[in-house]
Amino acid sequence: MTELDESITATHVTSQELLQAVKGFLAETVTPALNDRDQFNARVAANVIGIVQREQALGPRLSALDHAAFSKWIPDGAPDDDVVPQISQALAKRRIKPDAAFLDYLKQRQLLLSAINNPRYANRVVAAEKWRYLTTDIDPVADTR
Amino acid sequence: MKPEALAEHLNRVLEGLEIDHVVGTRVTHLTRLSGGANNETWRFTWHETPLILRRRPFNAESVEGLDGDILGLSLVDEAAIIQLAAQTAVPVPHIYTVLEASHPLGEAFIMAFIPGESIPQQWLNAAEFDAARNGLAYACGEALAQTHTVDCSQLPNTIKPSTLAHRFNGIQRRLQIFGDVSPAMQFGLNWLIDHAPNDAQCVLLHGDFRTGNLLVNEQGLAGILDWELAHQGPPAEDLGYLCAHVWRFGNIEKPVGGFGEYADLLAGYRSIAGWAPDLESLRYWEIFAALNWGLVCQTMGALWHSGSGDIERAAIARRRSEAELDLIYLIDTWETL
Repeated sequence: MTELDESITATHVTSQELLQAVKGFLAETVTPALNDRDQFNARVAANVIGIVQREQALGPRLSALDHAAFSKWIPDGAPDDDVVPQISQALAKRRIKPDAAFLDYLKQRQLLLSAINNPRYANRVVAAEKWRYLTTDIDPVADTR
Repeated sequence: MKPEALAEHLNRVLEGLEIDHVVGTRVTHLTRLSGGANNETWRFTWHETPLILRRRPFNAESVEGLDGDILGLSLVDEAAIIQLAAQTAVPVPHIYTVLEASHPLGEAFIMAFIPGESIPQQWLNAAEFDAARNGLAYACGEALAQTHTVDCSQLPNTIKPSTLAHRFNGIQRRLQIFGDVSPAMQFGLNWLIDHAPNDAQCVLLHGDFRTGNLLVNEQGLAGILDWELAHQGPPAEDLGYLCAHVWRFGNIEKPVGGFGEYADLLAGYRSIAGWAPDLESLRYWEIFAALNWGLVCQTMGALWHSGSGDIERAAIARRRSEAELDLIYLIDTWETL
């Protein structure tokens, strides 16, 4: 019996790998077999899987950022509830002063959200460069798979 | 409705019109062109004349609690606007007939087909459109100035003048209905309220004048499409909208729609109107357009959640983050200028 190498003995397939497999199936097998409109939608579907992959990777950082902002600007709020609507509502009631520190939070939040949803958006790269002082750990030309 | 049934109804409508008619003519080459939030667009041939049908399917949806300028005008009103625009020099297709909602085809109109390219990716960077692109910002300025000369007393009574305060209230209500999920959009709305211009003159605006709604041939601007978001507002709004980052298709160094310069757009406008908005007011409306695009993305998500639409609509909901990034970026840039 020959020895199996390490990649073959890795029997568990992670959710990231499953998504990658579906994305590959859509792009390489499904799309070429479809009519124009469905080809378009299949490409959209493959892109959607990319969003899910990136959200799995970056979502926890976004959540941590939002909770930190919540503690700072709404110290008397209820952190067990969804914190983001509470931040929006406090802004609507003008209870948060939109100073430079708050703007920095929004910039960081949007860089993360854009990195998840559409890393190829041209203005993301421009903004990431301009806001580099905030983003030393976010690559402005991050993975655009 | 199946294409065969659609063609049969079209045959009956067209037999009554004076278009290139020979006995026994039947609709041929019927092809669906695009989806769109509300309307279907079909191209077909009648004898040797290519024509366009725009129709609203009977199941056209709405989002409860929303009114106004995101889901668009009725097709009857859109046709009326196009006919008013045609009386100026704005390049729009001739409308042959308008059908009311009670017609078997549903609410619809049939218009001339204007040859040209409507997919921005096909003309924005291709060499054969170099000459067209060079004059396009100026031509857009002219077309917008002409649109803005339409006599507002002639408009359908669904298109009323509105104040910015009324529109801000509507946007605030939408943000709440949509769950207050976007601090960036709330921040943007607050900023727009705090920096609002005095309500200026109200003119007819195209309302969706962006690169994707231009029909371009190798000579330049051939037609302006999709008037369903027409409304009344200040002239600078239409110009700023065309310059929004999200409509530049990656060519962000070309502020006018990804193909032109501010100075050319304003010069074209001035050549017809005798005046032009200043650059700062255009930039205000670019920020407004970013917020508006975010609301459109949210609306797409709401429609998808209501069970309507395919995966594209779900994906567009996520493009909200482009609008949010633009809002923060543009306001940050404005504040530091």
